[in-house]
Amino acid sequence: MNENRFASSFLVPGGLWLLALFVVPLIFLLAISFGHTDDLGEAIYGFELTNYERVFDADLIPVLLRSVGFALATVVICLLIGYPVAYYIAIYGGRWKNVLLALVVLPFFVNYLIRTYAWIAMLGDDGLVNGLFDSSIRFINTPYAVIGGLVYGFLAFMILPIFASLDNMDRSLIEAGKDLYGGPWQTFRHVTLPHSIQGVLAGSVLVFLPAVGDFVSASLLGGPEDVMVGNLIQQQFQASDNWPFGAALTVVMMAFLLIWMSLYLRSAAREARGEAV
Amino acid sequence: MSTEVAPSPGAPTGTARPARTKPPKDFDRPRFLKAFVGLFFLVLFVPIVLVILFSFNSSRSLQNFEGFSLRWYQEFFESESLRDSLIASVEIALITMVVATVLGTLLAYGLVRSRTRWSNAANVMMLVPLVTPEIVAGASALLLFTQIGLELSITTIILAHITFSISYVTVVVRARLASLGREVESAAMDLGATRWQTFRLVTLPALWPAVLAAGLLVFALSFDDFVLSFFTTGESPQPLPVRIWTQIRFGVRPTINAIGTFMLVISVLSIGLALLLPRLFGRKESGLKVLLGREAA
Amino acid sequence: MSENGAGSAIHFEAVTKRFGDAVAVDDLNLEIQRGEFFSLLGPSGCGKTTTLRMVGGFEQPSEGRIFLEGEPVETVPPYERNVNTVFQSYALFEHLSIEDNVAFGLKRRKVGKDEIRRRVAEALELVELHERGDARPRELSGGQKQRVALARALVNRPSVLLLDEPLGALDLKLRKQMQVELKGIQREVGITFLYVTHDQEEALAMSDRIAVMDAGVIKQCGTPEEIYEHPVGPFVAGFIGVSNLLPGVCENGSIRLADGSLCDAQVPADCAAGADVQLSVRPEKIAIDDEIEPGMVTVDGTVVERVYVGTSTQIIVELAPGMRLMALEQNWVRARSDDRWEIGNRVKLGWRPEHALVLR
Repeated sequence: MNENRFASSFLVPGGLWLLALFVVPLIFLLAISFGHTDDLGEAIYGFELTNYERVFDADLIPVLLRSVGFALATVVICLLIGYPVAYYIAIYGGRWKNVLLALVVLPFFVNYLIRTYAWIAMLGDDGLVNGLFDSSIRFINTPYAVIGGLVYGFLAFMILPIFASLDNMDRSLIEAGKDLYGGPWQTFRHVTLPHSIQGVLAGSVLVFLPAVGDFVSASLLGGPEDVMVGNLIQQQFQASDNWPFGAALTVVMMAFLLIWMSLYLRSAAREARGEAV
Repeated sequence: MSTEVAPSPGAPTGTARPARTKPPKDFDRPRFLKAFVGLFFLVLFVPIVLVILFSFNSSRSLQNFEGFSLRWYQEFFESESLRDSLIASVEIALITMVVATVLGTLLAYGLVRSRTRWSNAANVMMLVPLVTPEIVAGASALLLFTQIGLELSITTIILAHITFSISYVTVVVRARLASLGREVESAAMDLGATRWQTFRLVTLPALWPAVLAAGLLVFALSFDDFVLSFFTTGESPQPLPVRIWTQIRFGVRPTINAIGTFMLVISVLSIGLALLLPRLFGRKESGLKVLLGREAA
Repeated sequence: MSENGAGSAIHFEAVTKRFGDAVAVDDLNLEIQRGEFFSLLGPSGCGKTTTLRMVGGFEQPSEGRIFLEGEPVETVPPYERNVNTVFQSYALFEHLSIEDNVAFGLKRRKVGKDEIRRRVAEALELVELHERGDARPRELSGGQKQRVALARALVNRPSVLLLDEPLGALDLKLRKQMQVELKGIQREVGITFLYVTHDQEEALAMSDRIAVMDAGVIKQCGTPEEIYEHPVGPFVAGFIGVSNLLPGVCENGSIRLADGSLCDAQVPADCAAGADVQLSVRPEKIAIDDEIEPGMVTVDGTVVERVYVGTSTQIIVELAPGMRLMALEQNWVRARSDDRWEIGNRVKLGWRPEHALVLR
């Protein structure tokens, strides 16, 4: 038996599993998005577009825009916070590099829910801060809290790729840049930044993707006006029992994300080939 | 450039200056940046520290630490339903770990050692779960189970977890396998081992640090998972993260601090094991490098 | 050449191997005798390793057939061939001890435990590693790993041993030592060795016969002396040793060199007048000034370079722009400080006509 055929047979168990339990469900999801619910709340398959029309209903557009907006805000804030941290660890970390990285990653071993809950405990109406200062400032149940929760949840995904790309950079390039460009900002703009673009893009994608579909932060930290598409989807599948509509929402969200994913992959492939991003 | 040369944005670019031996102050002592990073770590850890600290609070207040006590841990471990949830979480994570590791390792071998149209398709199919948002994963899994009439339970959670863990195993094991190279396998066949014997006696033993590390990674991910479990869980028992969600939604209870601290310890232990075990078993390379695929034994 | 090479150890019949559009081995016909130390010699990419892998069963010929001990082996997988390989990177099993490494092949053949123990001990003695049986591969040096790889292969008593540049990773001194040891082991054990290398000195030192390959084709096959003293073409002459190639044309049984001088040489009968040829003389066959004997072909030139290499000094002489010869002066009479030929000196070089090869 030649090697190709022998090794191909190894693909069968995992491949069949993924086919049955990953691909097929996605097909189901797509199929039911064209269906509707009957009076008993059962999902019926069909060929209607009503669910998609509803997704782009005037009432729901704000939710979609808000999700994208929150996710974008999360990316920007993660970048503003994460880049300097990654830069510091990569360039000035020295022998503490690994320790610092471990410290960055360690909080993310605490369950996402618990981490979010910690903010409630701190900033809630009955929380620590309000207790300490005997105030009643409304921190939670605001869009800022939701974004804050998202940032806190996904920050590591921004820091690690940027660190990796900066760490890979040849340090002597900065030295050369100092000589050539005259000042730290110029050096950064012309030398460091271009080299870390791939890391920035990767981090942005790694934060954006889960942030768009997140419902935990909005649920726990946001008010009724901070509903994101993730919350909507979750409601359809659990509370409202309107699976076809939930499926349509999911498909639209996935399609939206796939566009950005493919753009990113194309730019990453271009970079791997050595061309300009 | 020393600080005598003012680093203003108006400074001409591209002006070559002779290299100076004295390192510029700005670059070597970035005071502002250091302070920023310090503040960052502070803000990052304060919530965590608070959770851990208040898990030992003797009162139920979230505002005042009134004394050291283990009552919340007691409440956690004495609650039968919470205990059931803990056991369920561990059970799910263990079974997921075993099955996903087996399937993922086989898949990795197939992807690295074969080159057919099927391998390309399998590769794509393996990568997509990694970029699929969890809510999509959860919704589609829920849909599948109801369509085939499978009642939601620990089993459905396990099935869903395995599905989304396989890819992590494959990626880790594949990197390691690629770095091992074919020659050792050729040597085994040269000496009379069939392809299957070669895999069993030579490839697998060389792979197992990566397999083990991947398995522990899967354990940690599964133990900690919320969204997937949330969509595919039955009435009872529910895994710990789902219980936490319910508890948070219906009011803030100090027991959550205890549960969270406990889960943190478990997760850190499994990742720590994943990083340390290869070294304990006499291999020179660190677990981190194994997980990242650099260096064969 | 026997029918199907029935008496030979390995027989290649019109073997071609293609990888996509690239031809790695082109219509190879070769017969390797039992008990021979046979080397495949050539630069990287000449097809020697591919040829070896086809014998081992790791590649299948695109065309042609390979016979081992007279039997065709197209359908025989590597684990069923009575052939063992020593790989360039040793390919030891890191998770097994040295003893278990060596015993691996015997265990696959279900040899009895006692016999395994005996033969493993024997094999380790042969390579002088009987005291490291319990060690792991990573505890050994490169040379020791090499010897384990050898023992692991030989213990199975294959009819042919394939060696793929096994000494490439060792330093010079160790390499020379292992060359002698390998040759000795081969003689002692009597197994056919098929040895692949790009190091021509190594091939000359160890082999009973050598096949010089280039671009998938055997340029010449013969004993070391034949290859060295009578290279068949410029490639072989250039690849083995220093060739001192001088371009020239055939002229009535002599060769007219580019600088005008006429040399007596052993011109082949079918060389037409005016045909372009290369004249090749080995450096050690060139005499300088007062070493020249009557009857030698002589040329004049200027010393342009002197290279001291310890055992000898290489004297590079330019006959005309673009025409240079290297002569060797053994340093047994003269020490460095007493150099006879300064750069810029005019010298006379000479060689016996039968030592000049005419190559096309």
